[in-house]
Amino acid sequence: MIHKANDDGPLPGEGQRGYLLPRSFVSKLSPEREPFWFAVPALLLIFVAVVLPSASTLVLAFQGPNHEFVGLANFRDVLTDPETLNLSRFPGHSPPWGALIHNALWILIHLPASVGLGLLLALLFREVPGNQILRLFVYLGMILPMVIGGVLIRFLFDENAGILNGALELLGRSDLVRTWTAYPETALFALILGSVWLWVGFPLVLFSSGLTTIPRELYEAADIDGAGTWAKFRHITLPGLAPVTSVVVAMTILWELKIFDIVYVATQGGPGGASLVLALQMYFAAFRALDTPHASAIATILTLLALLVGIRFVRTAKGA
Amino acid sequence: MSPFGTQKGGDVREKGRERFIRNVPRTKGYVAFAFVLALLLAVTGCAGQAAQPGGGSEETPTLTVIGPWSGDEEKQFRPVLEEAEKELGIKINYQSQRAEDLQNVLPAQFSAKKTPGDVIFVSSSWLVTSNAQHLEDLRNIWTEPEKFRLSAVEADGKIVGVPYALVVKPGFWYRKSFFENNGLEPPKSWDDFRNLLAKIRGISGVKNPIASGDGVGWPLSDVVEHFLITFGGPQLQLDLIDNKVNWQDPKVKEIFSERIVPLLQDKSFSDPKEWTNAVDLWWNGEYGLFFMGNWITGMVKDPNDLGVFPLPDAKGIVGGTDYIIVPAYGAHKDEAKKLVEFLISKKGMEIRAKQGGKLSSRTDTPTDIYPPADRAVAEAIQGMEILPDLDDTIGGKWQNTFWDRLKLLWVKPGDLDTVLKTLDDARE
Repeated sequence: MIHKANDDGPLPGEGQRGYLLPRSFVSKLSPEREPFWFAVPALLLIFVAVVLPSASTLVLAFQGPNHEFVGLANFRDVLTDPETLNLSRFPGHSPPWGALIHNALWILIHLPASVGLGLLLALLFREVPGNQILRLFVYLGMILPMVIGGVLIRFLFDENAGILNGALELLGRSDLVRTWTAYPETALFALILGSVWLWVGFPLVLFSSGLTTIPRELYEAADIDGAGTWAKFRHITLPGLAPVTSVVVAMTILWELKIFDIVYVATQGGPGGASLVLALQMYFAAFRALDTPHASAIATILTLLALLVGIRFVRTAKGA
Repeated sequence: MSPFGTQKGGDVREKGRERFIRNVPRTKGYVAFAFVLALLLAVTGCAGQAAQPGGGSEETPTLTVIGPWSGDEEKQFRPVLEEAEKELGIKINYQSQRAEDLQNVLPAQFSAKKTPGDVIFVSSSWLVTSNAQHLEDLRNIWTEPEKFRLSAVEADGKIVGVPYALVVKPGFWYRKSFFENNGLEPPKSWDDFRNLLAKIRGISGVKNPIASGDGVGWPLSDVVEHFLITFGGPQLQLDLIDNKVNWQDPKVKEIFSERIVPLLQDKSFSDPKEWTNAVDLWWNGEYGLFFMGNWITGMVKDPNDLGVFPLPDAKGIVGGTDYIIVPAYGAHKDEAKKLVEFLISKKGMEIRAKQGGKLSSRTDTPTDIYPPADRAVAEAIQGMEILPDLDDTIGGKWQNTFWDRLKLLWVKPGDLDTVLKTLDDARE
């Protein structure tokens, strides 16, 4: 129902609005345009803080040091830079393989590990009394600022203080004890494994809430039909969790693409660039080399990759 | 039933509210709108004011001083500021910001013709020269260059940064008690040094003879620079800074391959570990030696138990400083310059030197004013050439590359050729 303001005063519901804004202004608002006006402050903020800098970065990516147009030269330089893509070492030698490959590896290893572990824990905790407390413990990694997470990962794999090395010593493998983040062969993988611990709380919580939306009757009907655990998981749980899974996968990939803080704190992308990722490469280009065109090109590549994931996610979400 | 009472009661309240709203004078809406607007302006205005230094009344201006020191180091610096406040009739708001953060913040702020501080301490001369156009000329303050151990930073025909207190990287630190308990003595030759490392390795509970500090990466570069200066001479350090000698030069390569790499291969150095953590581990006896600057005297429980020795036959050591700059965009530039003048004066420098942890960069500061541990350093470096820090002077992305490649070399000494080539490529 649409109300119209009149001279006698506002109708129910309009009163609160008229109290905060000049009434003459409010009376000019048509109900159709009203939502737009409410969105204006947020849109302005997004325009100033997101759209303008993004457009500026995009323009810079096509410019040289003196703001002259250089076409795709910056992108060519970035993609032929061994810091971005080092195919002469991949996969036969130890890292560095280039930031792009490191990011890809991050997705290839971290995504299935964290999503799979999150799902497994959600299923295990489902029937456990006091599972909320267990979930909270796992979720602690997500609550931590990632900078602290980076420091913790550093200590996790430290020769003297690390829990991994402590376990190796207990198992009688003192020969393997080392600072895992200090060696090019292991630095990247140590960070990826550590970040699984930090991130797994996110899929766990989403899968846990997703599980509560699957009707119990489906499982009861399956029991009557004599379905086994695997069959129930495959034909009821997995399809029931599909919308949640698409959210988890998309958010995890986006997180992996923009990973920065953990790497910056734990290894600074080293040793010898062995754990460098795109976001850190962009940071070094912008704030160490003061090479904004190069940094902007990396930022644009990173944004394009994130957009691909984002578009795919939106389509999947719409389908779901 | 309505959660707020009966439906009937709810209607009555609704009608009452309508009446109330209808009776609100129209001007009240404008007042509320103006209030919200004023609040927003006040908040943004305050934020803007907070971001700009140079508050305070006309009589007692407040200067914002930004330095990298916090904790104990800040405590050592505070007395200088307190004395400056008394002497100059100003108020000082000290803010601590890490050198790495300043590298990110300053260029952006200066580009917008703003500054986060009236007086700023910057550890890298490269950062000073690359922002020279945004800095005040301090030539009128820098009137006695011959009385300083380090040069001022000059760019665009201006003196844009003057050196503050001196930090030196005098060599390998040890605990006197550790050496006494294990019958060890500081070395007098390279062979002595190798023998000392072998003896330390044999001591129960010691993991490696030397703890390798890490974190951002600079502790390893300090060690390497000490080796380069000792075995290549002070001029080599200067030539490397000026890019007159490259990293694959036979002389440089020989120092790496014959002096540093063998120590890495026989694990005389530990794996790189976070340097503040390394201080504790070394102090607790897990390592025998630790290469660090003289600020370590403020980081250990008993500075009197500290001993230090350079590599035998070293003719020079690296001395670093925090350069003081006065940005052109502060509100109290004259007062800021007076403060800088006080900070580098004989009196100002002596107050800082008395606190320990840093040495005076002036040559006319008597050594007897230092606490014992610092006095030992001050006496040990007399007669030695004080050289600029290599990576701080070159700066930029090369500095990161240098740190990162040394981390690689530390765990992969066999990659020496690749490391040196990368350093040359990055310099080009």
